[in-house]
Amino acid sequence: MSRRRQLLAYLASRLVLLPVMLWLIASLVFLLLRVAPGDPIDALLGTRAPEAARIALRHQLGLDQPLASQYGHYLWDLLHGQLGTSLTNQESVLSVIGRSLPASLELGVLALVIAAVLGLAVGFSGIARPEGRLDLAGRLYGIGTYALPPFWAAMVVQLVFAVWLGWLPVGGRFPATLVPPSGTGFYLLDSLRSGSWSQFSASLRHLVLPAATLGVLLSGIFDNALRLNLRRALGSDYVEAARSRGLSETRVVLRHALPNALLPVLTITGITVASLIGGALLIEVTFSWPGIAFRLQEAIGQRDYPVVQGIVVVVAALVVAVGVAVDLLVALLDPRIKF
Amino acid sequence: MLALAVPLLAGCQPPHPAGELVVASRSSLESVDPVDVTTFAGTQLLSALGDPLYASDASGRLQPRLATALPRFSGGGLVARISLRQDVRFQDGSRFDAAAMVFSLQRFLALAKVSYLLDGRVASVAASGPFELELRLKRPCASLAAVLSSINLTPVSPRAYRAHGRRSLRDRFVGTGPYRLAAFTPQQQRLLPFAGYWGAPPSNRGLSLVTLSNSTALFGALLSGEVDVLLSSGLDSDQQKDLHRRAGRGSLVEGIGPAVEIGYLTLRSDQPPLANPDLRRALAYGLDRRLINERVSYGMRDPLRSLVPAPLPGSEPPSWPAYDPARARALFRKAGYCQAQGPGRSRRLSLPLSFRSNVPADRLFALTWQAQLQRDLGDCISLEITGIESTTAYRQLGAGAFPLILLDWSGDYPDANAYLQPLLGCGRAQGNRCLAGDSAASGSFWTAPGLEAELAALESERGQARQQRVTRIQERVAAASPYLPVWRVPPRAWAQPWLATPQFDGSGRLVLQALHRRPQAGGPQAGGLQAGGAQTGRPGAVAARGASAPAASLPPAQGSTAPAADPRPQVPARSGVTP
Repeated sequence: MSRRRQLLAYLASRLVLLPVMLWLIASLVFLLLRVAPGDPIDALLGTRAPEAARIALRHQLGLDQPLASQYGHYLWDLLHGQLGTSLTNQESVLSVIGRSLPASLELGVLALVIAAVLGLAVGFSGIARPEGRLDLAGRLYGIGTYALPPFWAAMVVQLVFAVWLGWLPVGGRFPATLVPPSGTGFYLLDSLRSGSWSQFSASLRHLVLPAATLGVLLSGIFDNALRLNLRRALGSDYVEAARSRGLSETRVVLRHALPNALLPVLTITGITVASLIGGALLIEVTFSWPGIAFRLQEAIGQRDYPVVQGIVVVVAALVVAVGVAVDLLVALLDPRIKF
Repeated sequence: MLALAVPLLAGCQPPHPAGELVVASRSSLESVDPVDVTTFAGTQLLSALGDPLYASDASGRLQPRLATALPRFSGGGLVARISLRQDVRFQDGSRFDAAAMVFSLQRFLALAKVSYLLDGRVASVAASGPFELELRLKRPCASLAAVLSSINLTPVSPRAYRAHGRRSLRDRFVGTGPYRLAAFTPQQQRLLPFAGYWGAPPSNRGLSLVTLSNSTALFGALLSGEVDVLLSSGLDSDQQKDLHRRAGRGSLVEGIGPAVEIGYLTLRSDQPPLANPDLRRALAYGLDRRLINERVSYGMRDPLRSLVPAPLPGSEPPSWPAYDPARARALFRKAGYCQAQGPGRSRRLSLPLSFRSNVPADRLFALTWQAQLQRDLGDCISLEITGIESTTAYRQLGAGAFPLILLDWSGDYPDANAYLQPLLGCGRAQGNRCLAGDSAASGSFWTAPGLEAELAALESERGQARQQRVTRIQERVAAASPYLPVWRVPPRAWAQPWLATPQFDGSGRLVLQALHRRPQAGGPQAGGLQAGGAQTGRPGAVAARGASAPAASLPPAQGSTAPAADPRPQVPARSGVTP
């Protein structure tokens, strides 16, 4: 089978499996939420309401229907692209996701850029002199950022830059007293499109601390991955062959070793992107960033079944799509890979 | 990147609109529709956007707002007529009248998550005149005015809401309050003064209510000057203590409201070991509230020995006993504990204490009481503490899963019965065991012969007789101790030093329209004031407990004199964050 056909077959198999995977995930989430202790009525009313009122609200929200009937309705709606409405405010789940997913993606993309630039720079910096001071510092940086608890790091950053120095906002996504830009939900993009510098700078000011914190914390992964793979590549036969042909060390590293070392980094990037689609919960909570993970956490606390189910299904679909895209990209770049 | 971005962006701080204030709290808000609102954050916002028929001031007195007088009862107390103000308009320009009030109450009954506020009491709602409301009651209801003071019952414009049928309007609000909702997201709401407001206009030019999702961020935002006013709900105890100290030093101002939230222990009274009333009494004597409040909240909460919190009538005198380890020991002995069982050993009661693991103060309470009992009565009792997530705990409460659990309660309206009925009501009983009803749902399963009749009688009595009955009921409950009141939680708000002391209403809500700059106070621009630091030309910190709202927040009933002049002071524009 030709390579092109192999790739198409792989893509087709993933596309066929996608609905099955989503059905499994949706069913699992549906069941787990119902099996877990607590229910939306308790989350909404606490201990305050009399039993009759609880029964009435349960009926009003359709939670008194048999589980099979609820499941049937849920799947039927899902097949028609409907994710239901929130139990807490009757808002469409699609609208909830439409509001919070861009926030997470905006944060994730900037954090990923920071992580990649910083991590790769640090990882690459020690290669001139392995086991030297710079290399050791880079290793320590990689381990340190990887090991730092995100909530602690985020709080320290918050205290230093927002409270003590007062340079940047403590949290939130946009100043309370300004009207946020409208459009796609990506505030940086929307404010650029509308040509509003004040909106752009306000959005960026709120984005800098969470994105930088997340980026620095993730950069250790890139640092370590590049360092290990580059070292392995530099010890391989084809690099020795290049050196023996009299090529300069810079050329050997940049043209021969680095491209090969970056392939595993690309896979790691894919995994990181996939995890960031689901949001960086601790960062979002600490910086009050109204992203998808923050909303999911709230919905779980409120036992808002439709919102939890909707977010999980959409995020799962996106994660699968990113996984497939990364697999295809790696396969295109590396002809040795077979499916 | 951060090093490059920060200096650039630090100089690009957005302008702060002149006279507008930023108020921060922890809870986000999913909907502003009164039929959806169940949280304190929601009622706080509604209190600025709408008016109830009645409102209680900080001293607990009910005053007419959209009504002109207290309800007039007839038909054996089963018909209540309420006269309404005639000078009120909704924020969409339509007229407020009895028909609008009927529409709002019927909408509430049909759609509200907390519709139980009315539907257990009200049989029908009708307009008996253009500006007179008639409520037919299912049973006499002496606390009707207090019930109608719930901000969830604020009228909404029929013109704006009728088109939406049986759906709620989550991000819009058209009511009669001093502010109109200019923008809404779950994390931020912007309020601007409603020019056609019937009462005194707000004392500020507008407000932004913002949500920050953790205590450290809230604390930091106030200190950095990013927010002007901070509400205490959701703020960790140590940070509250720090802000309280700063207020004492004069770098912030602090307002303290009347407590509507109480913390209490529920004891499962129908199962061993706490089926034994001596053991329940022993626990009542063994609770050192003063020590616990010092350790858990640094004295920011008040020890509580009644189910009804002050200043509500019936809160004094306290019915539960004060800490007395000697009497506790005697009762434990009577129940067969603290008895020697060989050298150095005694029979100890091992009792599980559950607490909500997601409420930091509850965890601290459990740890502190465990240690206190170990110190004072270690040979009689040991507590085994277990944390459980709150929603899970609520679910299992009615199933009798907890022998002893710490919970909290806020009355839905400012009246003693809003604290007694939900804990003591019982529809079906067998002796002292409640089989079905509020007491069973609350996890204590305790009742007493004649108690239900006493609770019912509360609704047909007024004045001194009612207060005496509240005291009598609490004494009966204290004697059996199926509940142990622990503390009451006064709401607090801290503001920048150039603002006047924040005021609270009788429902424990910050009076947002009363927030304003102090006369002669400097500001970030005018006086170079810096939060947390020294400033010039300002008096010392103001800490007002239970300070009542000014006229701007509680307009006089129709016929009385309203302030003629606009008291709105000029709050200086801020250029942004004060470092």
